[in-house]
Amino acid sequence: MTYYTVKGLVKRGLPILILTCFIAVLVGQILSAEEQILVKYPAILIMVPVLMKIGGDTGGMLGARLSSALHLGFSVSLRKSPVVRNSFIAAAIVGLISTIFACVIVWFIDIYSGRYIPFYTLFVVGIFVYTLNLFIVYLTTVVLSLASHKYGLDPDDTVIPLVASLGDLSGVVGIFIAIVVLSL
Amino acid sequence: MANYSIEDEDDFDFEYEGYLEEYASIQSIVREALPFELIAVVGGIISGILLSGMTEEIEMIPGLLVLVPGIMGLRGNISSSLGSRLTSAIHMGLIDGVDWKNKELQNNIVGSMVLTVIISFLLGVLSHSVSVVLGLQSAGLLKLTFISVTAGFISGILLAILSAYLAVGTFRLGLDPDNIVTPAIATVGDILSMMTIFFVARLVLYI
Repeated sequence: MTYYTVKGLVKRGLPILILTCFIAVLVGQILSAEEQILVKYPAILIMVPVLMKIGGDTGGMLGARLSSALHLGFSVSLRKSPVVRNSFIAAAIVGLISTIFACVIVWFIDIYSGRYIPFYTLFVVGIFVYTLNLFIVYLTTVVLSLASHKYGLDPDDTVIPLVASLGDLSGVVGIFIAIVVLSL
Repeated sequence: MANYSIEDEDDFDFEYEGYLEEYASIQSIVREALPFELIAVVGGIISGILLSGMTEEIEMIPGLLVLVPGIMGLRGNISSSLGSRLTSAIHMGLIDGVDWKNKELQNNIVGSMVLTVIISFLLGVLSHSVSVVLGLQSAGLLKLTFISVTAGFISGILLAILSAYLAVGTFRLGLDPDNIVTPAIATVGDILSMMTIFFVARLVLYI
């Protein structure tokens, strides 16, 4: 008998993957609703994958750190614990720097491609996504990590995939809000 | 950071808090995580450039854009966890080389491919049906499901092979695979899944 079995892997992975698949279709439909704007402004289209990623990556890092802290038996209370607070702030800093870095690179690529999109347009798009990451992705990560620990689930199996999906969602919703606010 | 006085050393709570501050200092987390994230950003931008080169396909295959987050998500969820399981298997001594006859390695790869096919099939069906229910255009059930399953399968199998080599290779070089395999698979996965979507979309347009 092997340690890993095909049946075991499929059974364990399937429920959460089905849930993330539903979220992905929702994300896809929102993205598809932005199609005309995205085709008109290729710089924003270039930003789509990276803006979807940053929230999930930094939120995933936050979740992994919290789950390690919980495994180590640190008391992790939402308000008092330095583990939660510092990990949260660190995720927010890494997210912000990465978002601005992405905006700058894509802006240069756009100029290099002979188009011209004002930097503030990309910046506004990035900042809306980032703000949603702060309020939706990171806060949900903290709550989900604590909850999944409380109910004895391994956060690696539940929190990380869900957080990645939420990051995708806040990415496309943030872009949508920015498009409306900038009236593109 | 706090300066400990001799009296303070008796104070367990104080030390414990001090340890936590050290373990989880904002600076140390940022310093560790930022370089990986910046590399991931570059990977994400490369896949964005590929996506922006697909505008023709996006316009000609309605529903293609709906599939994109789902196919990229497959790689993030299935391939990254395959990578991290393979590194665990190496740590446990279950896998010690890239030997395709090794049952543990086989089962891990087959398991991840079974999940890929099930979920990408569901993704195609859902994308089409939601579009129809919302009264939006769709290239059709057959085309969307074909794109989703084929792109998912090709990128999945390539990443599975890459994870096996990366996990074993980094381990042999004396590096900790945990720090390298998962971020590498996530970054390569984004680029590779976008390339396969592009390739399969072109294929569908030719048929």
